[in-house]
Amino acid sequence: MNKTVKKKKIASLDAKKARAGWFFVLPFVLGFVLLYIPMLFQSIEFSFSELNIITNPGGGGGGYELTFVGLTNYSDALFSDASYAQILVSSIRQLLLDVPAIVIFSLFMAIILNQKMAGRAVFRAIFFIPVILSTGLIDKIDQGNAVMNYMETAGIDTGAADALGPGGGGGAGGLGLVNALDITGFLGNIAIGSELVSYVVNIVNNIFNIVNRSGVQMLIFLAGLQSISPAIYESCKIDGATGWETFWKITFPMISPMILVNTIYTVIDSFTSKSNEVMAYIEAVFEGTSKQSRVLSSAMSWMYFGIVLLLISAVTGIISLFVFYQRRD
Amino acid sequence: MDQQKKLTRKEMKVDFEGKIGKVDRFKQHVFSKTFLTKLIWGIFRYILLIGISYIIIYPFITKIAASFMTTSDFTDQTVKLISKHPSLDQWIYIIKENKYWQALFNTARIAVLCGLFQTMICAIIGYGFAKFKFKGRGLLFIAVIITMLIPHETLILAMFMKFRYFDILGILKLFTGDSISLLNTEWPLYILSITGLAFKNGLYIFIFRQFYRGIPDELEEAAYIDGTGVFETFFRIIVPLSLPMMTTVFMFAFSWQWTDTFYTASPFFTASASPMLANIVSKIPPSLKMEYAATTLWESAINNTSGLLVILPLFIIFLFAQRAFVEGIERSGIVG
Repeated sequence: MNKTVKKKKIASLDAKKARAGWFFVLPFVLGFVLLYIPMLFQSIEFSFSELNIITNPGGGGGGYELTFVGLTNYSDALFSDASYAQILVSSIRQLLLDVPAIVIFSLFMAIILNQKMAGRAVFRAIFFIPVILSTGLIDKIDQGNAVMNYMETAGIDTGAADALGPGGGGGAGGLGLVNALDITGFLGNIAIGSELVSYVVNIVNNIFNIVNRSGVQMLIFLAGLQSISPAIYESCKIDGATGWETFWKITFPMISPMILVNTIYTVIDSFTSKSNEVMAYIEAVFEGTSKQSRVLSSAMSWMYFGIVLLLISAVTGIISLFVFYQRRD
Repeated sequence: MDQQKKLTRKEMKVDFEGKIGKVDRFKQHVFSKTFLTKLIWGIFRYILLIGISYIIIYPFITKIAASFMTTSDFTDQTVKLISKHPSLDQWIYIIKENKYWQALFNTARIAVLCGLFQTMICAIIGYGFAKFKFKGRGLLFIAVIITMLIPHETLILAMFMKFRYFDILGILKLFTGDSISLLNTEWPLYILSITGLAFKNGLYIFIFRQFYRGIPDELEEAAYIDGTGVFETFFRIIVPLSLPMMTTVFMFAFSWQWTDTFYTASPFFTASASPMLANIVSKIPPSLKMEYAATTLWESAINNTSGLLVILPLFIIFLFAQRAFVEGIERSGIVG
């Protein structure tokens, strides 16, 4: 009898802790079940329906009516809408080009910012300015900022800046840092392949965008770099490994989980950000006056989300093959 | 004996220096391979860092430069960065005619409240995920990741409907006889914040979960043995411990809410009576309106100045808090 009492007590302690755990996550559970799931399903439902808002003459209340129309909204978005499909394709292509550039750039900068040098604190502060300031509003202002373009195209190298053309649409399309024409010509002469050349030139032209979008990734990489034990580096040095070897044999494998996290974060971030062309277009459609525009925008964003989800799972699958997890005891 | 030993050592040193000589030693030091590579790498590093810092700061420089310009400066080809007739007109009229102070106050209130709610709630939720084992924890965490993955733009219509005809399981209908409309109020923001569903809250929950996982369980066990309850332990031991992390998350939540345009500038969350900073950006003050050859440039400059006015308070806060902010995230143990 004594035994059973004891057992019961242990079980109840576990149950107590489990209950406390539920209590802690309760706000999220409530929000998720009462708000999020209904919204989620409603949004999916909207994308398959026709919407009619009924307004009460007495003001307030009212309601709306949904008629199931199948895939009409989706086919409308793809085939009837003039620019959606085009923007979708170009935006996803741009995403595929930008993500590796952002991840590699942020890793590189994180490694540099992790080294000891004079003025490190100042550089770090500057590099994290975009995280705080260049989101949302400022991002929106900087899209096609007439004043900034005006000030750039000024001066002597107007020719080069003009030749860059639209320069990816970002605020500082061509900062005029590098004369892209020269580089293109130079690389073209080495015959590396025009695809690669245009990719590199694209990155150089887009450097403003890339720097602005890699703040959080840099932070995550920095945190990752600092979690690597210095003892490992020391033993490498004693064994006579060069910096290059140490990077590929130690830093890279140890940071590889962070590369996965950052790749996913970058994809999500660039697909939810204000500067995303598809998102901007969807918002514009939502605010449109046509009766169907709102459900149409739902269908569009779900389609876009589906594509990005596929992309994320593909990327995760590929990178996971190379990720190294340190066994922790 | 002791003295003799010292002497010999000194002699050896003299001998050593005598063989090479000071100049030679200096030369050897300078031309050694490691020193050279270090020097070149150092110079390269600073060029790179300064260059990229310039790219980051450049947009702000152009904004500041343009904010002091007057209409005539934009038609003058010789004026680029520095105005010929500098004036504070843009600043003054935006503040006067766009209800800047009111917008600032509204935005500050919402950003502070949302930031506090989100930090607290996400810390609580993250703690629940990190330290308690209960059935369905894994599934629930997948739910958190789902909220992180699906952008709110996707749910914009459903959200609009939800808050237009707001009701909780038909309870409100019982009392008022009808669902209530929360459009044009700040309630949707607070409701989303309290339930951990607002902008990027999934990320904060994730950060807190990783952080609390790094805190040894023995700490809480000791508290439990001393007879403190689960909640008391959390509020009196864990919260003070995680204050740096909370500062970081608060900075994120606060500043992202501050510059957010989705909730505050969406057609259905805009309270026309209470302007937000997000609303003043695209507005041109009546006194500054002018039609001439460079109207687009002029209006763009005004928008830029408004943008400066929006981020100025944020920038001041960042100046003071940036060290705590950067260090907080580095110690966060996001790495897990």
